[in-house]
Amino acid sequence: MRTEDFLREAAALPGLSGNEQAVARYIADAFRPFCDEVRIDSLNSVIAHIEGRGPKVMICAHLDEIGLMVSRIEEDGALRMRNVGGVDPRILPGMRVTVHGKETLPGVIGAKAPHLLTEAERKKNYDRDDLFIDLGMSADHVKELVQVGDLVQLEGGFTKLLNGRCAGKTMDDRSCVAIMLRAAEALQRMDTRADLYFVASCQEEVGGYGAMTAGYGVAPDFGIVLDVTHARTPGAPALEVCDLDSPAAAMGPYIHPLLRKKLVEVAKEINVKLQDEVMPRDTSTDTDDLNAVRGGVPCILLELPVKYMHTSVELLDMHALTECARLLAAYLAAIEDSWRDELWI
Amino acid sequence: MDLKTLCGIHAPSGDEKRLRRAILEEARKLCGEENVRIDRMGNVLCHKKGTEVGRPHVCVSAHMDEVGFIILSATDDGLLQFRPIGSIDPRVVVSKRVLVGEDLLPGVIGALAIHLQTREDRERVLGYDNLYIDIGAKDKDEALGKCPPGTYAYFDTPYTPFGDGFVCAKALDDRVGCYNLLQLMQSGYPGDVTFCFVTQEEVGLRGSIGAAFTVRPDVCINLEGTAANDLGDVERRDEVCCAGQGVAVSFMDRSSVYQRKLFKKLLALADAGDIPHQVKRGVTGSNDAANYQRAAGGALACTLSVPCRYIHSGASVCCLDDIDAQYRLTRAFLLNA
Repeated sequence: MRTEDFLREAAALPGLSGNEQAVARYIADAFRPFCDEVRIDSLNSVIAHIEGRGPKVMICAHLDEIGLMVSRIEEDGALRMRNVGGVDPRILPGMRVTVHGKETLPGVIGAKAPHLLTEAERKKNYDRDDLFIDLGMSADHVKELVQVGDLVQLEGGFTKLLNGRCAGKTMDDRSCVAIMLRAAEALQRMDTRADLYFVASCQEEVGGYGAMTAGYGVAPDFGIVLDVTHARTPGAPALEVCDLDSPAAAMGPYIHPLLRKKLVEVAKEINVKLQDEVMPRDTSTDTDDLNAVRGGVPCILLELPVKYMHTSVELLDMHALTECARLLAAYLAAIEDSWRDELWI
Repeated sequence: MDLKTLCGIHAPSGDEKRLRRAILEEARKLCGEENVRIDRMGNVLCHKKGTEVGRPHVCVSAHMDEVGFIILSATDDGLLQFRPIGSIDPRVVVSKRVLVGEDLLPGVIGALAIHLQTREDRERVLGYDNLYIDIGAKDKDEALGKCPPGTYAYFDTPYTPFGDGFVCAKALDDRVGCYNLLQLMQSGYPGDVTFCFVTQEEVGLRGSIGAAFTVRPDVCINLEGTAANDLGDVERRDEVCCAGQGVAVSFMDRSSVYQRKLFKKLLALADAGDIPHQVKRGVTGSNDAANYQRAAGGALACTLSVPCRYIHSGASVCCLDDIDAQYRLTRAFLLNA
């Protein structure tokens, strides 16, 4: 499947943290042609296995997405909402959404009209509690179809821009699932020793629980986590962002130095431009959880820079994505049994 | 032409060409080539001769233009800097899709990721000085090469019917009026009627200045979309009009005090014809009726509006029955004027 089609289709599917069934089924089907076994575990993580006789490696990118949940139905049928994961309330006014009630309901997020706001209110962003979801229905009809706790998915568009760049919902982190998929496909034509488990993990946006539980099941020797990182945008702190056009490799205490060194060597060998990203403490990715599974899993974190993370227009560079996949496949093919013995000496 | 088609044509103030062409083609079919003209403000004026003499000359007007954006410059990183055309609250444009220029180049309006925001960033409204359209350009030269200063940009929102007979789309203000004008033009009336599709309402009621002077009607019925404020537990006193409760008849707004005689006549016709209607309970908003009322020696004027939620955003919401009510009341007036 073309990566662009995968991203477009995956972005449209609902997969809010904790309720990832639909997108998990889609991703499982996408991995099936390249894997010996694909299953979905009890929390909704997809585990796709390519058998090998070498070290057991878990490659992990999360499939869940941020969104909203209905928290209250007002007398007039307007819905109030709470976050599932870190949704920026600034993106919500005027956002088109899908409410997953008894039926799939299109809606739009409204706000108090500007002419009713005081001068001070106009200078402040809307608080999430000032906003509401409009379903274009009578209050009675809303109450019949919707209940508190129903999930609300943000607009799922996918837009192709200039220079192979594209923008859409859930590029965090389905773009990295796409990288795993490309790597799995490329490995069909490569010799590998390692025993590979590609995991599209659930519940990352609420705390890394999918990586934790899938990691327990897989019990890998090494972990390779893929997630998005921040590309430079106006107003961003210069030291905390990367260039958009190439992958980055995290470094710091949560990252295993030897596994990372080997990644840098492979990148050099196959001419992939790789940026360094220093993370002095936790990485806010599945790495933090996978790293502490069972007796510990040495991990590296490979990152795809995106602009506007946690909006519905997360923007990536397709060239950086394909380079990242090329690097991942080459790295997986390079893994040798001896790496296990070299880790701590 | 259906409402979906009308909303899908991009026409911010000053850039109404595409919509003007589409309306012109339709109007020529309905009124005859010789009765349709374009004036020097770009308005499309369509005349229908009445079947009886001694009736007042009525003008029914709607504006073609919508709110949108215009490109000013670009940053070194290739992000387009822009301003709104018409009044768009900057808070509704964050994380939205747009199309830029004649070639409809796709773009997005992003914002600093929540992870990187300071407490101050979270509170402060991102104004137009800090919002950018990202078309994927690599640098300033590429961005301005594709989208030079003065290029228009448009909300990219699909037309979506939803709920109990509602629709969510861009440009409902005032494509609902344009739609009803085209519907009304399909039949003849006892008196002379001029249907005016005007330009540049959103940037200061400009197009109708010319149209009013040229047409000089006895009566003007202005068809609009107006801000509904009726959902989200709004205080009753703050409701201006409610979507789903019929066409809103105005007695006054920020630009006009309408003649009581005409206002009462419209309410009586709505009652008699069992047409769902409401009195607009607020004097907010300005519109083209002001220019018709004051042109030359003056005219009777009133505004009939379709209540429109989240007006001037990329995702406004109307009730289809209210659009029909606007049509029916205007038609009743034209038959009885």
